[in-house]
Amino acid sequence: MFWKMDNQKNTDIQSEGHTALTVEALRHVLANMEDAEFMECETNHDQTITLIYIRTLIDSERLNESIIGPLNRCTDKTIPDCLETSRVSEIAGMSEGVKHLIEGSVLLCDTLQNKWWAVHLENPLGRAIEPSETETVIYGAKDSFTEQLEDNIALIRRRLPTTALKTEKFTVGYLSKTPVVLMYMEGLTNPEFISIAKEKITSIDFDQFLDSSQIAVFMEDHPHTVFPQFLQTDRPDACAYSLGIGKVVLLVGNSPFALVAPSTFFHLFHSPEDYFLRWVTASFFRCIRFFSYFLSVSLIPLYVALTTFHYQMIPLQILFVLTESRSKLPFTPFWEALLTLITLEIIKEASLRMPTKTGQTLGVIGGIVIGEATVAAGFASKVLIVLVGISAIASFLVPTYQMTKSTSIIQFGLLVLSSFLGVLGIVLGMIGMLAHLNGLTSLRQPYFAPVAPFYGKDWNDLFISSPLTWMKTRPGYLRPLQKWRYSRRR
Amino acid sequence: MKDFKRAVLAVLSSIALTTGCSPFVDNNMIEEIAPVIFWYVADAGEGKLKISTVVPPLVREQKRLLTMQVDLLKQGGKDFNLIYYRELKVGQLRMVLINEEIAKKGLIRMVNTLLSDPAISPRLFLAIVQGNFDDYISAQLQKQPNLDYFLYRMFKHYEKTNQGEMTIVNLHDFLKRYYSPMPYPNLPVFKVSSNYFSYVGTAFFGRDKLKAIVQNMDDQIYQLINNDKYLKHLAIPALSTTLGQVRSSVQMKMNQDASSISVQVDLTGRIEEYQGDKNLLEGEQLADLRKEIESYLEKQTAELLKKMQRWKVDPLQMGSLSLGPLKKPLREKEWLNTWEHVKFDVDYRLHLQPSATALPVGR
Repeated sequence: MFWKMDNQKNTDIQSEGHTALTVEALRHVLANMEDAEFMECETNHDQTITLIYIRTLIDSERLNESIIGPLNRCTDKTIPDCLETSRVSEIAGMSEGVKHLIEGSVLLCDTLQNKWWAVHLENPLGRAIEPSETETVIYGAKDSFTEQLEDNIALIRRRLPTTALKTEKFTVGYLSKTPVVLMYMEGLTNPEFISIAKEKITSIDFDQFLDSSQIAVFMEDHPHTVFPQFLQTDRPDACAYSLGIGKVVLLVGNSPFALVAPSTFFHLFHSPEDYFLRWVTASFFRCIRFFSYFLSVSLIPLYVALTTFHYQMIPLQILFVLTESRSKLPFTPFWEALLTLITLEIIKEASLRMPTKTGQTLGVIGGIVIGEATVAAGFASKVLIVLVGISAIASFLVPTYQMTKSTSIIQFGLLVLSSFLGVLGIVLGMIGMLAHLNGLTSLRQPYFAPVAPFYGKDWNDLFISSPLTWMKTRPGYLRPLQKWRYSRRR
Repeated sequence: MKDFKRAVLAVLSSIALTTGCSPFVDNNMIEEIAPVIFWYVADAGEGKLKISTVVPPLVREQKRLLTMQVDLLKQGGKDFNLIYYRELKVGQLRMVLINEEIAKKGLIRMVNTLLSDPAISPRLFLAIVQGNFDDYISAQLQKQPNLDYFLYRMFKHYEKTNQGEMTIVNLHDFLKRYYSPMPYPNLPVFKVSSNYFSYVGTAFFGRDKLKAIVQNMDDQIYQLINNDKYLKHLAIPALSTTLGQVRSSVQMKMNQDASSISVQVDLTGRIEEYQGDKNLLEGEQLADLRKEIESYLEKQTAELLKKMQRWKVDPLQMGSLSLGPLKKPLREKEWLNTWEHVKFDVDYRLHLQPSATALPVGR
């Protein structure tokens, strides 16, 4: 019963398309909207034009310059000829009229001829193009996406000035009417990816989307895993590179983060800077990132396994320190590690939610004061505090923030396994994780490529970042229509 | 089918990666156990063993010496737990010090017991002790609470990259030699009293029984021609000379009928100390000294080899020279019979390196 009522409400919201477009009908639709304006304007030869718009969505200065002023001076020309803007379109139905209104257009009604026009005057409200805060680089372009979809498209188009770069627009969310732009390189990107992406976007049915990550949830093949199957980035250069090698990019209105697919597990560890630095340096740091990820998920479980079961594996010198450190603690290694990690997660979450300066203070208090006090109070060992610190810092080396978040979940899983089975538990957990990763797909393409399935040539941009001169072909696992990256055969 | 393949792959990987792991794990929480570093084993008479260790091994608490008289080695490990509040574990056992008397009776049973325990690492240092080690430990515990750990560090230090001071042997080395065609292992020997712990020399074994101990110059020559092939200092008091940074290259050749062996040793080093009458700034006198050193070392080495013949041990593994691709390998007894009558032709060639300061050398 409740389901039926809800369903009825949804159809009511969308039923305005069947009504004829009249001023009275619009007054009814826009009732109780304080920012909806109905204005009458007279032309030179006493013709009255009705202007209808939503004040908060349009640029009022341009309204005066492009519509009201020219209409007042208008002589015997038709309305579109009078207006000093090219973005005029004639509209017919109610639904079309409402759609234009909420997109930031002014509706003009010529009551004599009973004709309607929409003039797009959207208020370019939003922040300017700023450096990326989530994916900072020392070298390379500093610009990043904003909430303005048009700006975001332009940032990519400037990097790929070719007509092969196609943009197809969709709208998702029957309340939010969120625009989604699918970008791909025609003649290069595998058409299968494009059709799968289109199929997934058109099948989305939900009320509102406030960020691209919410759209990713509907498009992912495996929504219940901790591993993101769409790479989220706010860097136009990363998007342009992905398009150039044969991936598809989704730009979402009001979201500064684009979605890139098909994505693989390994590409979550790649930073845009890898392609700007010297290849040896870049490769070294890429390897460090992989190692850090391994460290961040396994260091604390390893501590628990070694101190609970496998004291033989600890070098004697370290065993001295560990035994001394743990000799007077009230908790077992598992509970000690669990409580410390939960405390760390609380501190991390709190410092993220706080304003920047408060967050920094919180980090210092959490990291130093609480850490020191915990050891002094005898709740945790010094060694564990050091390891937790290393593990936390190591988790931040992964360039993809979603992946950074996921390390905590995996770490807790391995921690529980290690407390029961020791190192065997960690190994079993790792095997389970590998099997899980091997089963994942992104846009129905294998998530663990190019390792499994194996694409040997793609390994030159996997764990190491080879010089660009060696990367002569596009990644094989993307099956691009153009294999070679250079334009002339040598 | 695809899922089946994945499942098979996952099972195979699991088997490969977890081979050797046991799903039954001991609770070894480090604050509840006492991983002992060393055992001292002595003869308690009437076929019994006396085992000693120091507890707690890793925590800064008052340390004490635990001693048990037992029939079996493992029994000692078990009985320690009955008199101490932490469970004593042997997973970090790094040294087993064995009394000389036991070594003379044979070590192989003890060594096999140690080896068959999966918790004990084969990188376990073995050493022979002359005197009562318990007295030494009891006397020193007040002065040096971490004595056991420092002893381990000493072994580790001299083992690493052959420091050229003393013989260091671990369980793996011992057994490797024991099970080789020429089963003559060796172990370091230390002498202890209540205030005294010092390196004596190297013990030679015939199979698992202690046969003899070489000390002083004999031990230095053994280090030089067999063990480390390096000595930081080779002191020759008879010639008032100390050679430094001495490295050797040894060539041994056996004749066809195994009646004689030529040992050619090329030594490289420098004179670091000289308190004799010769003027080493003069080339001729320096050459004389070099010849004296060579002939002294030749004589000492020949004597050492003769002693080995008398003791019926071949720690230099010279018997392996008789092995060849088309030859029937000699049995141990056959070799010992031959070994007693082998004649040696020892030849030293000393290559003196220029000294950094006041001892210019000519050839």
